[in-house]
Amino acid sequence: MSKNGPVSAFHRLRRRYGNTMIVALALVVMAVLVNVTPLKEQTWLRVLFGISALNFTLRATVPLVLGALSGILCERSGIINIGIEGMMLAGAFAGFVAKTSTNHWPLAASLIFSVVAAVAVGGLMGAVHALFSIRFRMDQIISGTVIIILALGTTSYLYNRDAIAEGKFSSIPIPGLAHIPVIGPVLFDNPPITYLALIMVVVVHLGLFYTRWGLRTRAVGEHPRAADTVGINVNRYRYINTSLGGMLAGLAGAFLVLEAVGQFQEGMTAGRGFISLAAMIFGNWNPVGALGAATLFGYTQALQNELLLAGVTQVPRQFISMLPYVVTIVAVSGLVGRVRPPAAEGKVYETEGSA
Amino acid sequence: MKASRPVKLLVFLTALALLLAACPAPMPATDSGSGAAGTAGDMAGEFKVGLVTDVGRVNDRSFNQSAWEGVVAAAEALGLAEDDIKYIETQDAKDYADNMQQFIDAGYNVIVSVGFALGDATTAAAQENPDVFFIGVDQFQGEAMSNLAGLIFNEDHSGYLAGVLAGSLSRTGTIAAVLGTDLVPPVVAFNEGYIAGAKSVNADINVISTYHPGEISQAFVDPEWGAATAKQALDQGADVIFGAGGITGNGALQEIATADGAGETVFCIGVDTDQWNTVPAAQPCLVSSAMKLITPGVVELVTMASDGEFPGGNYFGDADLAPFHDFDDMIAQELKDLLEETKAGLIDGSIDTGYGN
Repeated sequence: MSKNGPVSAFHRLRRRYGNTMIVALALVVMAVLVNVTPLKEQTWLRVLFGISALNFTLRATVPLVLGALSGILCERSGIINIGIEGMMLAGAFAGFVAKTSTNHWPLAASLIFSVVAAVAVGGLMGAVHALFSIRFRMDQIISGTVIIILALGTTSYLYNRDAIAEGKFSSIPIPGLAHIPVIGPVLFDNPPITYLALIMVVVVHLGLFYTRWGLRTRAVGEHPRAADTVGINVNRYRYINTSLGGMLAGLAGAFLVLEAVGQFQEGMTAGRGFISLAAMIFGNWNPVGALGAATLFGYTQALQNELLLAGVTQVPRQFISMLPYVVTIVAVSGLVGRVRPPAAEGKVYETEGSA
Repeated sequence: MKASRPVKLLVFLTALALLLAACPAPMPATDSGSGAAGTAGDMAGEFKVGLVTDVGRVNDRSFNQSAWEGVVAAAEALGLAEDDIKYIETQDAKDYADNMQQFIDAGYNVIVSVGFALGDATTAAAQENPDVFFIGVDQFQGEAMSNLAGLIFNEDHSGYLAGVLAGSLSRTGTIAAVLGTDLVPPVVAFNEGYIAGAKSVNADINVISTYHPGEISQAFVDPEWGAATAKQALDQGADVIFGAGGITGNGALQEIATADGAGETVFCIGVDTDQWNTVPAAQPCLVSSAMKLITPGVVELVTMASDGEFPGGNYFGDADLAPFHDFDDMIAQELKDLLEETKAGLIDGSIDTGYGN
């Protein structure tokens, strides 16, 4: 039990997520059945499980889950990050500028360079947020708001409407897996940032709960005094994590510009950073939980569209769009489980005796 | 103060952030390239025209820009000086009234307010200032006031033409529309006209259309939703997609432009202006756009105001399809003829789109 081997890790996962996994598995089986059997003649089943709905869900989930991971990294170390929206937008803009200025490069090189630029600028915004919050002891909510306003203002001011990004990431089918009916085209035939986002969920989860860095990050976010006492440099961890979080938000921006839309538009994040925050909280500051919450949010968006596309107007779509938030409120208010933010979140840490 | 230097830096950065965010707003400016100054004639200094944008920039390559181009063209025709025309870019919906008031206080004769969302503020300002002429682009007038003209369009007409085009081009028998919000009547009119037009050429056609789920402030500025929804429609077999909803619709056009078979088996249709020019990235699939000719409408109304023949109430501008550009050779002559006939029928009333009945 106390051993940290892979077997006990599996047991812990099963205990914690057992029911969730069964539900997820049931949904996958259902989706396969609906799309390959005559069940697809049923409009309502197609609305719920059609391939177009599943594709939309994954696509809407990617920026949300990256944003939520960004929030998790920052907040687990004790820095509230309300500026995800701004970091995402800044990353998107940086990716766009990098893409338009390297249009003459080979497509793959140009795209990869642009992703790096987006991630770097996102990280920079995270570092600025950390600087405000730690060095200048600014209220972290206000600092996050400044980040959003700064990103929105700067990108709108600098945006050149005549610039066109030529080309974007296209799907990379994974050999073998992509041919599985239904699951293949939905999960294994996607552009690279989508895969990367799913991988990041696993990486952040393992990082946070199974590495020394993760343990220290959580210690810094829960009880910085104790962490300091055992010799962990609290503020260094906060700087690093907030910058890493910014990089993930920048990656979400890269997804929007370099993989999804292909162009930049002013304010194109359109509130995704804030929905990410909701997904982070709903997911109880846990990467896998955040993925679940982001998927739920993405799925309800898909559902609204499916209902309209299928010509179903009996259910007002406003009710469908309320669904994820109603679920969140019910969940957060204690029915499903108690969510608990890191204890030292939002508090400036000063070492004893420092001025 | 020990921490004075970092604090100063912080204050500076914060101020800079706020300044940049607010930058385009409080700076009424004129279009320096208009050339109006050179032709400044008898009217200079006596007749001033101000324009208040909807949230967004004056060079948005859509509504705001088309209306501003109308003001510039009218100023040129009337011989106004460069200083006699100005615009204010609205940053936040709650500033509509204040922005109009700035022009009223400065003694402007005509105020153009751009967009459905400014309707209430424009009506209120027109009631309080009977000596000032107001032109409300896309603002339907329920009760006519002598100093307020709503420049409106039969969006259902251009939507109908787009529907005829889409219905004729479709091979799969499914076409789609990706739309802004149904909270804005013109968007609904585009859609209803589109559906009716498509059904007029193919009664069995399956038209799937969907509106952005968000509120007005998000519905037109969410390109990724537009793109993902366009993909969803493609997944369901649609091969012609009408993107009508500002930047959201542009996202849909750009998605189709990069889809397999763009310009060969799948096509897109833009909205409001000729999007061949405004969204170059959509060119691979863009066969045409369902236009509302805002610029000539604004020119006509501003000119009438200066002539003292201002028509209060609703004033209808023209609605039409944009040129086919590179797709001109691909569109069969019969289809072109059909579109011309349809347009004539819509104008003389022999074709009814069914919208508003």
